[in-house]
Amino acid sequence: MEGASPRATRTAEPAGRRAAPSAAGQPLNAPLFSTLIERLDESRRWVVFDLGRARTETIALLGRVRCRLQVVDLVDDAERLNALAADPRELQAAVEALLPRRGEPADAVLCWDLLNYLQRPALTAVMEAIAARGRPGMLAHALIYYAAPRMPMRPALFVPLPDRRLVDLAPPVAERAAPRYSPEDLGRCMPRYRVERARLLRNGMQEYLLQL
Amino acid sequence: MFDLGKKSGSDKVQDDSTRQQDRPEIRNEAAPTPRRPAGAREAAVIGPSIHIDGDLRGEEDLLIEGEVNGTVELKHNILTIGPQGKVRADVYARAVYVEGYVEGDLYGAERVGIRKSAQVRGNITSPSVSLEDGAKFKGSIEMDPKAVESALGSGRGGLESQKSAQPQQAAAKPATNVSPKPVEPAAKSGAAS
Repeated sequence: MEGASPRATRTAEPAGRRAAPSAAGQPLNAPLFSTLIERLDESRRWVVFDLGRARTETIALLGRVRCRLQVVDLVDDAERLNALAADPRELQAAVEALLPRRGEPADAVLCWDLLNYLQRPALTAVMEAIAARGRPGMLAHALIYYAAPRMPMRPALFVPLPDRRLVDLAPPVAERAAPRYSPEDLGRCMPRYRVERARLLRNGMQEYLLQL
Repeated sequence: MFDLGKKSGSDKVQDDSTRQQDRPEIRNEAAPTPRRPAGAREAAVIGPSIHIDGDLRGEEDLLIEGEVNGTVELKHNILTIGPQGKVRADVYARAVYVEGYVEGDLYGAERVGIRKSAQVRGNITSPSVSLEDGAKFKGSIEMDPKAVESALGSGRGGLESQKSAQPQQAAAKPATNVSPKPVEPAAKSGAAS
């Protein structure tokens, strides 16, 4: 895989802005992400949805297996979806418009840390719409701020390294309170998914592997 | 229908023998558009003030800086959608390089390169895909060699059959019934890593 090395230097945090856990620019061990990638058996075809931005590193990692990568990229849409919380129909329509048409079902979904930026109604709408496009048994990987009370104002820009660690390449930004979704919260918001495994990461994020 | 003029085969930049037929090649940066041999014809240009509605087909390299709505087919040649180009079309070419705006599916028999200034909404099918950081892309990238081969076919027949039988996703081959490997015990909470 090319070009996947973390940035060597990062701008110092402005005074009063404590570095968010995922914004340290340091590679992050994410065992469940590694587990997910290991499960992508090279002998089979996989369909993977990426809710984050298109990244060369992700393409390169998934290019090792027979795969179709669907770049959904909801990063810029989270706030708009949150604003539609009062009107479930409109919210659902907006989500449907952002997702690919239903076709070949997804086997895996890379949520990265996007779910932290969706309020409960939007979180439910997005993940339900994803579930409708998923194969039974579909896996979803997510990073949730749980022990960490603060998170950056905008989603991280995680890219996978060749060793399957993750690194956030987003520039430092101000922080805001994290929703700190608990497993129970996620269960209520995403009733069609079950937590297959969860793991607390060193940076205070909870790593989830969810299954449809 | 807009037909661009034919050109000699000597303009072919990359020999067929070099075509990658294995797994799709993913590059961190789009390869530079190959330089034309001395004395060879420059690519045809659709300038910024030109607006075309319809099918565009030809046998020479093409640079689009204007607006094209319809389909673009340059099966033996290189298509570059320049920074000012706006294409709302499905595109079929030997190689496709995007620096501007595209809404449509991209089929590159040899390569598709998305440069950092590009905005692309559509599906990409090619044995070699490159995406520069900063490019905006929404859609699918077919990286299954069998599906790529099936979608691209060989020669004109492949393109024609692909256009007539194009599914809503880029993948022409339906998925096999894939299920993840057996799951591990549920809801383990591990120690911090």
